[in-house]
Amino acid sequence: MPRTSPARLIPFVLSEKPAGTKKYSQGHYLVPDTNALLNALDLFENTAAFYDVIILQTVLEELRNRSLPLYNRLIGLTRSEEKRFYVFFNDFRLETYVVRDAGESINDRNDRAVRRAVKWYSEHLAQAVKAAGGSSKKVPAVVMLSDDKENLQKAKKDGVEACSLGDYVAGLEHADKLLDMLTTVKEERDMREARAAEALYQEYFSVSKMMTGVKNGTLHQGSFNVSPYNYLEGSVHVPAFDKSLLVLGRENINRAIQGDIVVVEVLPKDQWQEPSTKIIEEESMNKDENPDADDGEAVVTEREKRALQEEVKKVHSKSSEGRPQPTAKVVGVVKRNWRQYVGHVDESSVSQSAKESRKQQTVFLIPMDKRIPKIRIRTRQAGEIVGKRVLVTVDSWDRDSRHPVGHFVRSLGDLETKGAETEALLLEYDVQYRPFPKTVLDCLPKEGHDWKVPASTEDPGWRGRRDLRELNICSIDPIGCQDIDDALHARPLPNGNFEVGVHIADVSHFVKPQNAMDAEAGIRGTTVYLVDKRIDMLPPLLGTNLCSLMPYVERYAFSAIWEITPDADIVKSNFTKSVIKSREAFSYEEAQLRVDDPSQKDELTQGMRTLLMLSKKLKQKRMDAGALSLSSPEVRVEMESETSDPIDIKTKKHLDTMSLVEEFMLLANVSVAAKIYEAFPQTAMLRRHGAPPKSNFEELANQLKVKKGLELKVSSSRELADSLDACVDDKEPFFNTLVRIMATRCMMSAAYFCSGTQAYPKFRHYGLASEIYTHFTSPIRRYADLVAHRQLAAAIDYEPLDASVRSKGKLEAVCKNINIRHRNAQQAGRASIEYYVGQALKGRVVDEEGFVMKVFSNGFVVFVPKFGIESLIRLRDLATPEPESVFDAENYILKTSGSREVQVSLFEKVVVRICDVVEEKTGKRKVKLELIDPAPAATAAGNGEKGKKSK
Amino acid sequence: MPLDTSTYSLALLRLDGRRWNELRRITAQITTQAAADGSSYLEMGNTKVICTVTGPAEAKSAAGARTGGDKAEVRVEISIAGFSGVDRKRRAKNDKRISEMQTTIGNAFSQTLFTKLYPHSTISLSLHVLSQDGSLLATCLNACTLALIDAGVPMRDYICACTAGSTSSYSSNDEQADPLLDLNTMEEQELPFLTVATLGTTDNVSVLVMETRVQVGRLEGMLAVGVDGCKQVREILDGVVKKRGHKILESSQL
Repeated sequence: MPRTSPARLIPFVLSEKPAGTKKYSQGHYLVPDTNALLNALDLFENTAAFYDVIILQTVLEELRNRSLPLYNRLIGLTRSEEKRFYVFFNDFRLETYVVRDAGESINDRNDRAVRRAVKWYSEHLAQAVKAAGGSSKKVPAVVMLSDDKENLQKAKKDGVEACSLGDYVAGLEHADKLLDMLTTVKEERDMREARAAEALYQEYFSVSKMMTGVKNGTLHQGSFNVSPYNYLEGSVHVPAFDKSLLVLGRENINRAIQGDIVVVEVLPKDQWQEPSTKIIEEESMNKDENPDADDGEAVVTEREKRALQEEVKKVHSKSSEGRPQPTAKVVGVVKRNWRQYVGHVDESSVSQSAKESRKQQTVFLIPMDKRIPKIRIRTRQAGEIVGKRVLVTVDSWDRDSRHPVGHFVRSLGDLETKGAETEALLLEYDVQYRPFPKTVLDCLPKEGHDWKVPASTEDPGWRGRRDLRELNICSIDPIGCQDIDDALHARPLPNGNFEVGVHIADVSHFVKPQNAMDAEAGIRGTTVYLVDKRIDMLPPLLGTNLCSLMPYVERYAFSAIWEITPDADIVKSNFTKSVIKSREAFSYEEAQLRVDDPSQKDELTQGMRTLLMLSKKLKQKRMDAGALSLSSPEVRVEMESETSDPIDIKTKKHLDTMSLVEEFMLLANVSVAAKIYEAFPQTAMLRRHGAPPKSNFEELANQLKVKKGLELKVSSSRELADSLDACVDDKEPFFNTLVRIMATRCMMSAAYFCSGTQAYPKFRHYGLASEIYTHFTSPIRRYADLVAHRQLAAAIDYEPLDASVRSKGKLEAVCKNINIRHRNAQQAGRASIEYYVGQALKGRVVDEEGFVMKVFSNGFVVFVPKFGIESLIRLRDLATPEPESVFDAENYILKTSGSREVQVSLFEKVVVRICDVVEEKTGKRKVKLELIDPAPAATAAGNGEKGKKSK
Repeated sequence: MPLDTSTYSLALLRLDGRRWNELRRITAQITTQAAADGSSYLEMGNTKVICTVTGPAEAKSAAGARTGGDKAEVRVEISIAGFSGVDRKRRAKNDKRISEMQTTIGNAFSQTLFTKLYPHSTISLSLHVLSQDGSLLATCLNACTLALIDAGVPMRDYICACTAGSTSSYSSNDEQADPLLDLNTMEEQELPFLTVATLGTTDNVSVLVMETRVQVGRLEGMLAVGVDGCKQVREILDGVVKKRGHKILESSQL
């Protein structure tokens, strides 16, 4: 038994009396080999079985070389106390160490090492039990689990207890459920080999061929993105081309899945095309595919081929006018970024007779994310999982299979139930929503909710803190906000200037670098806000109590204090750790009422008025500098307080007090950014927003020019802001917002970065027109802010800077993670709103005004501002049979004739009927729009050319 | 070894399978080069060093004037072979790290040798590093001790050195962190560590070098482990010297 230096004994991991099975009634320990773990780690994570597992060092190392994510999951398992996974360092033990023989492959050597270890373990156990006086019948068995036939045979020869995964699982209690989680790859491959497989896809290039190709510029490497409207169109952005490379059609996509890092070869110029103007959905294309027998078919089904051919024809006819984009085909995948996908089983692929029986059958899983192709899974529980949200893993995609092959992991619950949908959403956006582990909670202050700012100023907690308890500080937040990050104060100074303070929760006091809580927060990256739920970055004790700047109690804070002239020029700024006592926590509405009420003359209100006055001036300055005012559709879902069922949807109102808070937060962020950059030029945590390349705006500028005769200038943020201001339609006040929403989508996304990785001019925040920017004001809900806090604390010599935020490499890794988390959190939030909007509209039919945002040759996208929803109307939705159509791509007009005559043009106002349907493809309840009528001529005639036609 | 240091907590085994308080294998020989006044070859794990001693000899300076004074001067020269590390790199002649090591070794031995016995003279130590895998300074100090004994320069006691680190990084509040003895390169790159040398069997510290940051609380534990390691090193060095002594005695009796 090993000891640590202060002679602390490490408790035994494995249980003394391990569980038994039919075959091993005396109890058994499991020793999986690498392949077993690679193929079926999900099984090992299952709580129904697989306890008392011995992980060998050889296996752990091999797994780490094969797949880092699996390795990390396994390490997680070894840390969990209940699963009892023990790591045995067999290579460090004389009896189990194996020397590689001459001519023996490394894999063979490792397999031999595993067998040797298993053998030694069973002998050792027998001895130990004998020594302890136990009977030899009670010695637990040590069982090697492997999927490698050769390995199993050799084990048999050596007299080592061994079992294939399938056989082992079959002997367990819940065999049916567990068997589904076994990867089917192997047996299928065996089956296929027997049938002399015919390859459907091109073989990938060898790694060395790809590497040389990328190096000498004949091939390009990039991340593969699928168009949300057309599953047969992908794009890869590579540095060598301004425009993204298009990858069209199944053959060219060649088994790449959204997010994979791929290597592509550019096709000859005569095959270059424009991005598709057509909506192509997998569901409608290959509805009747049979999941069991797909080998006979060609890769590209006839319908798909036709859909694409029309495309090509159209491009050819337009010749000179078109702006073809380079196209490419995937020749290799550098890194698969497969994750677990949430979806539902395609009911039509389940054979009726098998629904009841336990027969294994192949079904299609339709992922929630439209960009992911259907996944084939084999299951014995088809009948049970129909109509459920299920989680699956993709195992492989071979050349001879039209669809990727995966396996069932677990069911989340019935479709459309709140619990299942929320969990699906969290899984889909990779949000860590499990409760905080004990190690994290152990990092919290021992006093728990009773923690208070120490009364005596001699206490070490007061070291270096300024006592600001006397100031009239208040916080302004949305209604019901529990994690109050920030509070403000303002007071006049004798010289006519004002002292303004922004006080931010001092989270870095509680979350010390590199402890378990910090690590967890770093992984979570941000708090995720869903409509009915909040997934915290920090344990709630900190987030909603100890760190939250609640009113009437003393709290630690990190304060930025400025002296500001009445013209809102900053005379000097100062940063300090402090202790504050907030006087009141206002909601935006309350604060607004109080400021507007002339009878309120107390200091707090006066302070808020000062802040409001200064914030308006600050905002003006920002606007003059060229800050953009962008727009995204924002709605709020009102819920019934008891049942939390959504009842109504409101667009968010804007109040002056909101921009008051916003301005000062921006000011604090900018000042802090400058300070930490000055202190740590190489390692400051900053946030940048790149200037969007001109090509991003080409489409929008052209649309505005053609449709409205407006010009969009994009050479600087100032020009863009001005020309966006000029984009008004007198008759349609919403037009400006619509353009802003569309312009926002052309922007780059802002990102965190470490200052040493970019040149100073690149630091610029385009949207805010600020030279330098960071996030400092919400450390409770964003990890970046916490890092900025630590750096600022070091910059003012409050405490030494921790190693983790001193090294550029580590910071870069942190930035990369929080950028992804940030984006996922935003998307999860939006998806949650989308779901609840669907729920709120359930069973209702509303006619509402909307605007045409995008026109395709066989459909168009309508945006309804009232509900913030955006939805596609396909031609076949207009009438049956599908009306004939003429698409004028230059003028963005779609004209239909035949069964229904309509003319739809971009930016046009239309009236749509909104009702809800369950989308067949993703199983989501979604709002469906039906075109009732292009709007009456009086309101929508932007310029003369729009014809109004209706049925 | 592909496992990283974070797996230490899994089984309390280090990257190379040692426990926290175990030294690597130390092997040493003395009188390896007959032409030198004293010489030694020492391996601590995969760190391998040759040391030769010239002198005590009359001090010569470029100007011809007599330098030194009433005691001998200890000069140290370290050369690190280009092939000694994982990546091949040439060190500049006046590499700061090397000159710091030279000064450290020089100072340590000028305190321990009876330099007063040799006024106006120089003792030159020349070290060649053949292979590096952590604990370089400690290995150099140990090799020098052996070579000086071989040269017969009177000294108070052995200078025995080794390194000690801590599994906890700077500023993490992990109370359970173990100190580690005798670090290899990978551990040195990741963890805070110090080099400590003591005089013979005593607890008197003659060299203590630390270049990384560590919490003050960790230091005591590291130092205790390091000093304990030095005593183990002394036993080994003493064994080497005694073995050599026996050999000389045997051959003289013939």
